[in-house]
Amino acid sequence: MTFAGIAFWAFAISTVTFGLLVILARNPVHSVLCLITTFISVAGLFVLMGAEYLAFLLIIVYVGAVAVLFLFVVMMLDVDFAELKSGFAEYLPYGVIVGVVLLVNIGLVVAAWQLPTDPQLAQPYLTGAEMTANLEGPNNAEALGMVLYTDYIHYFQIAGMVLLVAMIGAIILTFRERKGIKKQNPGDQAARKREDAVEVVSVQTGKGI
Amino acid sequence: MIGLGHYLTVAAILFAIGACGIFINRKNVIIILMSIELMLLAVNINLVAFSQFLGDLVGQVFAFMVLTVAAAEAAIGLAILVTFFRNRGDIAVDDANLMKN
Amino acid sequence: MQLGDNISFAFPEIWLAISAMALLMIGVFIDSKYHRFISFGAIFSIFVALFLVNFGTASENASLFNGAFVTDGFGQFSKSVIYVAAIFAIILSDRFMERERLARFEYPVLILLSVLGMSLMVASTDLISVYMGIELQSLALYILATFNRDSRRSTEAGLKYFVLGALSSGLMLYGMSLIYGFTGATTFEAIAAGADEANRIGLIFGMVFLISGLSFKVSAAPFHMWTPDVYEGSPTPVTAFFAAAPKFAAMAIFARVLVEAFPAATDALSDWQQVIVLVSILSMVVGAFSAIAQKNIKRLMAYSSIGHMGYALMGLAAGTSQGISSVLVYMTIYLIMTIGTFACILMMRRPEGMAENISDLSGLSQTRPGLAIMFSALMFSLAGIPIFLGFFAKLYVFMAAVNAGLFVLVVVGALSSVIATYYYLRVVKIIWMDEPAPEFERDAGPGVKGVAILSTVLIVAGIVVIMPFLNIAAEAAAATLF
Repeated sequence: MTFAGIAFWAFAISTVTFGLLVILARNPVHSVLCLITTFISVAGLFVLMGAEYLAFLLIIVYVGAVAVLFLFVVMMLDVDFAELKSGFAEYLPYGVIVGVVLLVNIGLVVAAWQLPTDPQLAQPYLTGAEMTANLEGPNNAEALGMVLYTDYIHYFQIAGMVLLVAMIGAIILTFRERKGIKKQNPGDQAARKREDAVEVVSVQTGKGI
Repeated sequence: MIGLGHYLTVAAILFAIGACGIFINRKNVIIILMSIELMLLAVNINLVAFSQFLGDLVGQVFAFMVLTVAAAEAAIGLAILVTFFRNRGDIAVDDANLMKN
Repeated sequence: MQLGDNISFAFPEIWLAISAMALLMIGVFIDSKYHRFISFGAIFSIFVALFLVNFGTASENASLFNGAFVTDGFGQFSKSVIYVAAIFAIILSDRFMERERLARFEYPVLILLSVLGMSLMVASTDLISVYMGIELQSLALYILATFNRDSRRSTEAGLKYFVLGALSSGLMLYGMSLIYGFTGATTFEAIAAGADEANRIGLIFGMVFLISGLSFKVSAAPFHMWTPDVYEGSPTPVTAFFAAAPKFAAMAIFARVLVEAFPAATDALSDWQQVIVLVSILSMVVGAFSAIAQKNIKRLMAYSSIGHMGYALMGLAAGTSQGISSVLVYMTIYLIMTIGTFACILMMRRPEGMAENISDLSGLSQTRPGLAIMFSALMFSLAGIPIFLGFFAKLYVFMAAVNAGLFVLVVVGALSSVIATYYYLRVVKIIWMDEPAPEFERDAGPGVKGVAILSTVLIVAGIVVIMPFLNIAAEAAAATLF
């Protein structure tokens, strides 16, 4: 087995195992940690498929920010998690049935896949073997960068609006202005002049002010 | 040789785990949010795998957008969860039956 | 290079985005107490967008950004209806939000942003932009549902809406990824061209996932679970908004995806037709039976909307140009009825707070005859009783379904319509026959009253006033998809 093969099995197995642990763990903190491991494993799979840029995006944004956000919320909410697990056994059969049915169905589809006879490719790019043969060609990040701001500028702009909505939402839902709290005003601090704060007094010796 | 089928299978399993997680953790919203993340991650594996094997960059652009939107979605989901917790003192949706007939 | 595209075709959307950001900045930096001014600003900017869609370059046919964004008759019609519905939603919210101490300047800004999402959504002919548009509008709607953040009911509604919405987005995305994988394309045109026998199974699978996700967005059964709770828990003007514009937008993109990406020419029609027939039958039956036991008027409206989506999907199931035009007519008329009904619901206020139970309406004819007449007319119209506008809406979808040979669907539709009539008439009976309950307050504000009167006039006189015009416009719009 090649190195790529071994790496695939390692990442695939850890993706599935830790994915399962996310939903089965008794302690939500463990769930978040498993989620982080799943993200890292999937990033590994992305690298194996030649999508390096997305792999690093996944690590930086998801492991670095989203998972940490989850961790914050888990720690902040003071909830009796043991109690929340009480319905677990009751729903387990339904969950397993849903999962298995879904899996069998999707399995049928996956087995049926073959290259479309006439794929309408919008942005052809180099795949595995071609890429090693042509080292001068643009790498994954460059290739993405070249289309993201030109051909796909529309999506990029909408993504910006989506993030704006998320920001407004997070602020209006959770931010509460509290009265009577001492706050810094950076503008005032920066606008402060020497004359307002310091007075130069020439004191004569022995007299005091 | 690792082919497309292998990647799609991993994605399918992960998607099924996510769907299953929503059903078995009905009471614990935070795990439900994580399950949704798992489902979107499975979609991304699918997209990147198809993109790779078709030799077409669109799939990766799509995955890029899904990652961005999913991050925004997670932020809003957690914000709503925090307000919900403030009002009720717990996060069990299953007991959230203020509105049943 | 797509940067050379003539972006003047996208002016309405660009204008909406810029004005949303500008109004947000005014609220943040000038004075957050300007929410009134910002509401007017939002109404004004949607008016301008309405003008741009119908009279600017955006009214010509064009395709931009590799087919991610198109302007055509269908989009023009849908956008116009969505914009008008959004304007009415903002008008309805004005007085209510002040009374409930919810008046914040972010509210109109979020409505603007979600209108932008809907506008982008109905104009897209690419799976990625469909997804982005849907997410932009849904994220704004999740926040609006939770807008009353100190109320347990509102946050609960927001949470349920969010969880089920995110789940449906996940399903829809999985479907999109399969469609992409099996045809190698994301634009509708290329998907239609790339479909062949070899990848049929995968394509059908992707399509079913996609249909499930979209059914959730239009709240069709069996993906309707969120509707009653979200309708009841959200602040009433937000519910009025939910029930109107987003439903129309989701139905429009539903029609566009199915007709353009899976056209009749590639045999895909028969595949999705069965699924849509099933969803339509389930929605009509669920809508008719579950509504009977409801005591809360907002929940009643939720089940009513599930039923109405079933009828609209009947037109979609026909899959013909006539079918799509009947969907557009149906949805437009449904918007008029639902906005009018919510305006009436907003007038149900007692000194102790909003009254939401159907029993609160008892004897309304004696205390508030004007409101009673409007309410009854709207209920008759929702039930689809002849001469009211709702009847013609049903007539069109039934005709389209008969012409497409979907007789089972028509029979189920007719039967569930009879059952549904029962609960609408029950409301009318409570209004006219029962002992009077304490009177409602009379100061709902000119906006709410105006909207209620306008929509009542439209549904009573609509056969003369709007029907001929609406029909021609919808037929022209539907024809652009084929």
